[in-house]
Amino acid sequence: MTTATLPYRVTPARVLRSEWHKLWTLRSTWANLIITSALTAAMGAGLGAAYDGTGEGRMDTVLFVLLGTQFAQINLGVLGILATAGEYSTGQIRATMTAVPRRLPVLWSKAAVLAATALPLTLATNLLTFPLAQSFLTGTDQSASLGDPGVLRALTGNAAGLTLLAVLALGIGALARSVPMAIGAYIGLIMILPEILAMLPYESVDDAVRYFPGKALEALTTAQPMPGTASPGTALLAMLLWTTATLAVAATVLRRRDV
Amino acid sequence: MGGRSYAAHPAPLTEVGALLEARSIHPGRTAYHHLRALAHTHGIPGARVEHVLGLTGLTDVAHRRVKGFSLGMGQRLGIAAALLGDPATLILDEPVNGLDPEGVLWIRTLLKSLAAEGRTVLVSSHLMSEMALTAEHLVIIGRGRLLTDTTVTDFVRDSGAGTVKVVTPQASDLARLLTAPGVDITTDTPGTLQVRGTDAQHIGRTAAAHGIPLHELTPNAASLEEAFMDLTRDAVEYPATLAGATA
Repeated sequence: MTTATLPYRVTPARVLRSEWHKLWTLRSTWANLIITSALTAAMGAGLGAAYDGTGEGRMDTVLFVLLGTQFAQINLGVLGILATAGEYSTGQIRATMTAVPRRLPVLWSKAAVLAATALPLTLATNLLTFPLAQSFLTGTDQSASLGDPGVLRALTGNAAGLTLLAVLALGIGALARSVPMAIGAYIGLIMILPEILAMLPYESVDDAVRYFPGKALEALTTAQPMPGTASPGTALLAMLLWTTATLAVAATVLRRRDV
Repeated sequence: MGGRSYAAHPAPLTEVGALLEARSIHPGRTAYHHLRALAHTHGIPGARVEHVLGLTGLTDVAHRRVKGFSLGMGQRLGIAAALLGDPATLILDEPVNGLDPEGVLWIRTLLKSLAAEGRTVLVSSHLMSEMALTAEHLVIIGRGRLLTDTTVTDFVRDSGAGTVKVVTPQASDLARLLTAPGVDITTDTPGTLQVRGTDAQHIGRTAAAHGIPLHELTPNAASLEEAFMDLTRDAVEYPATLAGATA
């Protein structure tokens, strides 16, 4: 056996492998991912089938078809929170940090493993959901094909945005160290706060809110950029910055505070 | 550890194996996968995981989720995790907690055999009788202060907590002769003395010197518990011990 001749030592690749193993040996991961995909596809198909050509006529077609990804935002966020805060509530964190006392490789690995799971899943789901929903929308004003300008970009942008949100939630989980607290903070700060701020009658607040993660994700999901929203490129950059900043704070706290 | 901080070691699990809090495990994962994930961080092969599962008697439940484990099984899994890296030093906090009598015997044998292999096994426990059977070297800490650092045998011998049973027809004469500062003599049945604070040799000599016949002269070594209580009675409000078996 070749592994027996190698000395036992911690390497970044091995921590990554350990975190990958941990993610996939929990039933909750499988349940979460299946539900996430199924809800997005079912909502897309349902909305497409129920659409009668009125009402949402002005809505961006990709945004409309992917309305089910609202659930994915919560689901994947919870998956990220469980990966970090879940370890504190179960006590698993003590075992984890005993094996990797440098700590930071654990956080980076968790983030990488989550991203490597969420991105292909959301991308595949979006690429399936769009044609599925469109099969009901032929002849309506929401009719579009994958080849139409901006459609592929919006489907991919949504997947990238959802992935970044999940990693952001993972960072919140590492900071909060409590699953309910982290879920509360995630839903409150990321999903509800921007909606409330957007209602304030100040131009400058409106300008800022469009770069908040939730709003930026919406901008990323549109095939035709809407007025008053960020451009897809800026939106992606904004989300990258939010996620990086959260992870950086989480890393600082992880290094300084006792487990 | 070995002159370096624990976090600076390239392979910490091979330096020290620790059982600090038994429930340091995600309840939704199986015992096997818990250990496998820890093993991955060090590149420890799956065969080693199987080995420590066997060593701790968990092979049959390895693929059950930890959620359904009893306290004793959780404890065994914690010990399995501590042994995973084949470490030179083991630190076990209250390892017999929650174990059934068979499990207690198992861990006693395991700790002794690990020490016999040349490892340092540090065990902290409040179970005096268990420590008396397992440990060789004893460190007693009370209120954050080191009270004793010695071997178990020396500690019990020097504690003065042992008694000598003396049966003699001239009990009151002997008691008078033995009376000295620090010597405590009690009588529960006529003709029988329980002497504390001196040894059988001294009692026998005193009796012989005064021509007092002795029918029985039996030293009773104190238990570790008695010796411990003796040491900490006045000094410590919340006693705590740390005992280790070193090969």
